[in-house]
Amino acid sequence: MGIFGGNKTPKNDWSAMSTVIKAEAKLQALGEITPSRRAGVIYRNDESNSFQRDIKIELNEVLYSGEGATKTAFEIEDDDRGMRWIVLEDGKFGDLVSTVYTVGNAIGMNDGADDLLAAVFELYFTGTVEDNTYRSGLRTYWIYRYDRKAFYPFVPTGENEGERDRPAEGRLGQDLRKHGLAVEKSLTEWMGLWGIPF
Amino acid sequence: MTSTSTRKFHKDRGLVTRMYFTMFMLGFLYAVFALFLMQVAGLQLIFVGGIVGVMIVVQYFMSDKLILRSTGAKEVTAEQEPALHKMVKLLADRYEMPMPKIAVIDTAIPNAFATGRNPKNALVAVTTGIQQRLNERELQAVIGHELAHVANRDMRVLAIANFLVTVTSFLMTMLFWNMLFGGMGGRRNNNGGGMMMVYLVTIIVYFIGQLLVLALTRYREYGADHTGAEICGDPGALADALEKISGTVNNIPDKDLRKLQTANAFLIIPAALKGEGSMHLFSTHPPLEERVKRLRELEQRMRYGLR
Repeated sequence: MGIFGGNKTPKNDWSAMSTVIKAEAKLQALGEITPSRRAGVIYRNDESNSFQRDIKIELNEVLYSGEGATKTAFEIEDDDRGMRWIVLEDGKFGDLVSTVYTVGNAIGMNDGADDLLAAVFELYFTGTVEDNTYRSGLRTYWIYRYDRKAFYPFVPTGENEGERDRPAEGRLGQDLRKHGLAVEKSLTEWMGLWGIPF
Repeated sequence: MTSTSTRKFHKDRGLVTRMYFTMFMLGFLYAVFALFLMQVAGLQLIFVGGIVGVMIVVQYFMSDKLILRSTGAKEVTAEQEPALHKMVKLLADRYEMPMPKIAVIDTAIPNAFATGRNPKNALVAVTTGIQQRLNERELQAVIGHELAHVANRDMRVLAIANFLVTVTSFLMTMLFWNMLFGGMGGRRNNNGGGMMMVYLVTIIVYFIGQLLVLALTRYREYGADHTGAEICGDPGALADALEKISGTVNNIPDKDLRKLQTANAFLIIPAALKGEGSMHLFSTHPPLEERVKRLRELEQRMRYGLR
């Protein structure tokens, strides 16, 4: 794990992930979304990794006492598919994104780069985008895959695998790309995450 | 089928051969099944045939109105949709067919269809979603494809082909209730085993008929792609449109991201098993990749003057 982990040092993660800050601000200005305050990092929990074993203590250190600490509230949740979620909440979207980055970076720097799956942001559409295609009150998730360094939309329509609103996702992807978001180009990589805990 | 337009546009010999073979098989199946029913079951074929016949005639003559009602399509005038009207007019002239009715469906889902028993009674409909998503060249290709269905009389061909499938599905339901409650009006109902056999044969005929109709539908679809591409002179435009509307969004996977790194070895075989084989057989429209591939080949041939 250690040998190849080095290659995945999230060097470009920030430049890709931070595009969501600008996109979110633009959608806010257009009156299309309500402020987003929740996000999460999902990773494959490895009990042999000491940082991950003591994740609560470690994150408290990183998020509350380090310099530039954003003091973002976090919770740890394990899902029924064997993954661990760090769920974060912050009233300032910019702080939320940088905290998500920090959490992912901390896991990655401590021999966990291969365990990182994705960061997930929630955008809640209440307005109409361009051609009236979004019904008001559409909850959308934006999945950032660490291995692809890009986002894609996820609009689940049910709890079961495969239940998703593909036409809405297609449109959202096109629209958010226009707003500067780093969107994953290959649609076959747009894999869902059913049962997001926030 | 005897229209000049059909003969003029179909140049894909293999396709035409397969299409006629399928139609022949369907007719053959019809005849054998009718004989079987008369010999073994002694059913009153005229009765069943009559009911289904009426249903199909109604559907055939009312199809444009039925479809308008069921899809929420609204007929539009030249004043309401001048650009669309102009585009359809141009294409209809190239097909040498009268101007069809035009309808628009207010939905974001990109789609288009044509209906009508002959070119005089044709209707072509597009959704607002497809109007927004496609550029002029691509939309023209899609309408060209739909008008090709009209020119090739695909509605009539499929109505006839569907007759057998409708009859058998009707019979299946009838026989099922008949066996449950027994003795209702039948002449030979004391023969339970015979009834069972008729039921089983009906089911088999239904499935074979269904497969033949679906195969025929696919051939008509390729045919319309071909005809439409020649009328527009731009096979690439339809390929682009197909990729843009259905291709892209359908590529979004069912798979959960958490399965990405585990069980890779196990996924290969199930994927191959559930893959194209059965979908291919049961899908009305041919697989998108195959249609796009054929259109791109046609594009190459047209570009270099090979016909």
